[in-house]
Order: sequence, then C-alpha cells, then structure tokens
Amino acid sequence: MLARSATIFKWALYAGATLVFFLLQGAVLQRITVWGVIPFVFPLLAAVLGTYEPPLPASVYGLILGAACDLLLPGPLPCFYTLVFPAAALGAALISQSLLPAGFLCAAAGSLLAFLLTDLLHCLLLWLRGQAAWSAGAWVFLRELCVSLPLLIPVVLLFSAVFRRTHLDD
Amino acid sequence: MKKFFREHGIWVLFATAVIAAALAVMSVMSTASSPLANLAGIVTSPFRSACAAVSGWVAEKQSYFADITALEEENAELRRENARLRSENRQAEETLEENAQLRELLNLRPMSFDWELETADVTEQAVTNWTSSLTLNKGTAHGVEVGDSVITETGALVGLVSEAGYNWCTVLTVVDTDTSLGAQVYRTKDLGLAVGDFALMDEGRLRLDYLPADCQLLGGDLVLTSGLGGYYPAGLEIGTVEEVQLSDSGAASYAVLRPAADFGSLVEVFIIKAFDAQS
Repeated sequence: MLARSATIFKWALYAGATLVFFLLQGAVLQRITVWGVIPFVFPLLAAVLGTYEPPLPASVYGLILGAACDLLLPGPLPCFYTLVFPAAALGAALISQSLLPAGFLCAAAGSLLAFLLTDLLHCLLLWLRGQAAWSAGAWVFLRELCVSLPLLIPVVLLFSAVFRRTHLDD
Repeated sequence: MKKFFREHGIWVLFATAVIAAALAVMSVMSTASSPLANLAGIVTSPFRSACAAVSGWVAEKQSYFADITALEEENAELRRENARLRSENRQAEETLEENAQLRELLNLRPMSFDWELETADVTEQAVTNWTSSLTLNKGTAHGVEVGDSVITETGALVGLVSEAGYNWCTVLTVVDTDTSLGAQVYRTKDLGLAVGDFALMDEGRLRLDYLPADCQLLGGDLVLTSGLGGYYPAGLEIGTVEEVQLSDSGAASYAVLRPAADFGSLVEVFIIKAFDAQS
C-alpha cells in the first residue's frame, strides 16, 4: 500500500508519460502513414496501464484518457473514447490479474482487446447509421493493430519504469 | 472480477455516464464547439502550427531536390496548358460580354458569385483512421461557422467545417462518412447525393447516390454541388465520376467519385464564410 504522497507522485509520472505519447502522436505519428493507416497510440496507453494497475484505477485512467481524446479528436460520438477506453483498461487489468502476468505478452493481449473494442464500436455506429462496413472495418482494425503494435515497446518500457520506480518495496 | 464489479462497478459506470453525458450535452448545446473542446483546441493550436511548420519545411526541402527532368517536363506541360487557358479566357470574356448584353436586353438580374472567403492554413491532416478530417488555423474569431464550405485555390470542394473553436476549426472532407452534399452532374444535370462511404474512404473516393433510374453517366463526368436548400454554394467542384456500380440489392446504381481536391497535399485552403444563395 502506497502512501498518499507516493500515490500522487506515481500518477504524476503516469500523466507525464501519457503526455509524452500525446506529443509523439500529434507531432510524428499523425503525420506518417504505414500500410495505409496512421499508427494510433491511445488504445495502447489504456491497455498497458491496465496491465500494471488494479481494475479501478486503470478504469479511471481510461476514463480521463478517453475524455482527453474526445476533446482533441473527431469521433462519431462526442463521448466515443470516454466509453471505450475505461472498458479497454478494465479488460487489460482483468487479463493481468487472472490470465497473464504484466509484461509484453499481457500488454499485447490488452492492446488487441483495446483495438477490438474501439474498432468494433466504430463499425457498430456506422451500421446503426445505415452505413454498414464490417469487412472494411475489419481490414482497418487489422492494419491499425499491426502498425501500432510496435509502439508497445516504448509504452511498456516507460510505464513499467514508472511502476517499478514507484513500487520499490513490492 | 465479480468482486471488483460488486465493490466498484457502480462507481466506474456512474463516472463514465456522467462524463459521457457532460461531453454529449456540451456538444449538442453549443453551435460551435463545447467550451472544453474549444479550450483544448486553443491550447494545442500553437503545437499543431509548429508541427505543421516543421513538416512543411521538411517537405519543401525534399521537393527542392526533386528530379530536374520531371520538373522540366511539368514546366513544358504547364506552358502548353497556359496557352490553352489564355485562348479559352479570351473566348470566355467575349461570352461574358455577350451574356451581359443579353441579360440587359431581357431585363434579367445579373448572376452573382460573390463569396466572402477566409484564407486558412492546414495545421493537421487526418488524426484517426476512421475519419477524414483537417484542422485549420482559423475559427470563430475570424467569422468561421459550423457548416461553412472549404475549397482549394482552384475551387475544388475540400469539405465542410464540422467544429469551430476560437482560433481553430475541424473540417470533415467530402470523403468522410459524416459528409452528405446535394450534387449535380454537370453534363446531364441529374441530381444526386454525394455521400462519404467508409469502404471507399480508404481509397479517397466517395459515392454519388439517389441517381435517377434513367441516368446515363460516363467516366470523367464532372460533379458539382447543386446548391439546393441554400446551405452550400452551387457549382463547387466535388469530383469526377470514376465508375458506375449497382448497389448490393441490385435495384439502384451509384457512382464512385474521385474528389477534385487532393487532401494529402493541401497546405492552404479557403473557407467560404458567406455567399449569395440566390446565385
């Protein structure tokens, strides 16, 4: 159990790490296209943090990350990412608690779930508007996942460094 | 998992619902953008401009060292095109004079193509793989409103302003799934609806739907905005017909359009802030 100041310090470090990836996405990733898609780091952030933290803090982090994304990115709903990212972070946290130990493999499984939830909701909303595009959506999901997964390496390294730095006694 | 949901599930659900509802309500109640989204846009605006400047500089340096032979060929082609356009311009001037005389004889009101334009720089291209959008460096402070049309220097329609903040705005391009425009085929005068389609968005194409049953389209036919309803100016170039296909049911046909604007290479665009709807 961390002291109050240690908890604040930990979440400040997580916030800083998140800001680094926001800058990376805005300055670099958004301006490059690989295999016809833009690498998208935000679902990875929700998933990776979920693998290191318990379900509740992970969900709250996903909620704040989702709200920030909704303020900055266009989406089919004003609260699109606010709905998806808490679920993605919660899913990743539950995977790390019951299936796989936190690490690259667990983060990859969590990321797969995060992209699946995000893109499935996109497809569902298109279908509800009478513009069903399941096969095109699946193709984007596959390419987005493949192009974004290499970003797991810096995300996991940075978030695990924060976790280790703030859990020295564990 | 059961323990987690029993202890905290209701609070996570409650917080998600409150934030989601707040974002949705703020978005619906505001005609431009929600206050929080506006603030986020203002804060990130200098960062977007800086990134756009750096990437523009890099692109400029790359193009500086482009193949000289290709540039010479392009120059020769442009000279030929310039000569042809000069000739066409002379003919158009004569036609305009004749048109003005005839209108005067028939006592008709002269047509007006007066648009109030605002020049804007593109600070960000598409930001997700599910939308086709641009972010511009002009907003409500410059008179930009949601629904304004955005064109290139050649008059090709880029898209429509979907969100406007104080010094920024987001434009959904004509290929985005949220875009829907009244359209008219220039040659046949057939009316239709130009709509974004997700399956085609990836290829940078859009659909022309609701065509008349007897419509005879040809590849290369020019498609313009119809201007019906007065929401957008008439005569903006949406794109050209690439192919005509049957819908999944086989009962109706639709055309696949190639947009006139090249979204990937846009640096500067023009926002139509006001126009004469009667023209």
